[in-house]
Amino acid sequence: MIRRVYERHVRLALSRPPTVLQVEAANSYAYIATITNHLYITEQTSNILKRRTPIFAAPILADTRPLKKARYLRRWARRLTEFGFSSEDAIVLAYGSFGLDVESQTVGLDAIITTDIRLADRYNQRNPEINNRFNDMITNLPEAYRQIKLPQVLTTATVLTFV
Amino acid sequence: MEKLTVDADGKITIPPEVIQKRGLHPGDELSLVESAEGLLVYQGGVDDKTSAWWNSLDPEQRLLAETEAHRYESLSDGERDSIWSEEADSIEAEAESDEIDFPTE
Repeated sequence: MIRRVYERHVRLALSRPPTVLQVEAANSYAYIATITNHLYITEQTSNILKRRTPIFAAPILADTRPLKKARYLRRWARRLTEFGFSSEDAIVLAYGSFGLDVESQTVGLDAIITTDIRLADRYNQRNPEINNRFNDMITNLPEAYRQIKLPQVLTTATVLTFV
Repeated sequence: MEKLTVDADGKITIPPEVIQKRGLHPGDELSLVESAEGLLVYQGGVDDKTSAWWNSLDPEQRLLAETEAHRYESLSDGERDSIWSEEADSIEAEAESDEIDFPTE
């Protein structure tokens, strides 16, 4: 999603019409920013943005906080690949439960927003099984981790239906 | 998001409340953007956040943004994909050393 928001800025600078994904992402992003206290991105996305042209990347970096990986994030990501997610997608999904906001000392997210319809569909269709697998895993973790939850996964198009 | 239905003549009707909300008038032009992801009926407006960013730039910064935008848009899809997948995280157990313990009271 962040890539498409960045690219929406690029298209505006060129006075060129944006793509569907760029419009969906930019409008969803603008809407979410009005209803939530914090927008989060992964460490990887934060590092990528830091290497991009500041004129496009700086406003996104200013709006968002990068999440750190809490312990067991990768363990959960590996479990998620058993449901057919790529390792890249599994990491993003795992941030939804094990992403750590160091500043507020909170872990996990309410929702992950993506432009990837197939990712959201797969997650939602297999949610009961994923939920069982998740509960099996956290039951065996130290006490502090047992309150962790699964996030919702929403497409940018779905977010726009809330506007 | 509104669902629009194409009629037998290939026309779509925009609901009156959307017409009113967007300030559209008869004769106004809308762009139909075709892409791999679908079709977008585009009024040419910009969301608040993107608009605020653009309006915060002075003429010199806008020129710089245009130059940088040309550079980015001249990249191939593959090159852009590579940029956005740099330093992809490994999910292997050997990479877990950067994970942080969940804070307890």
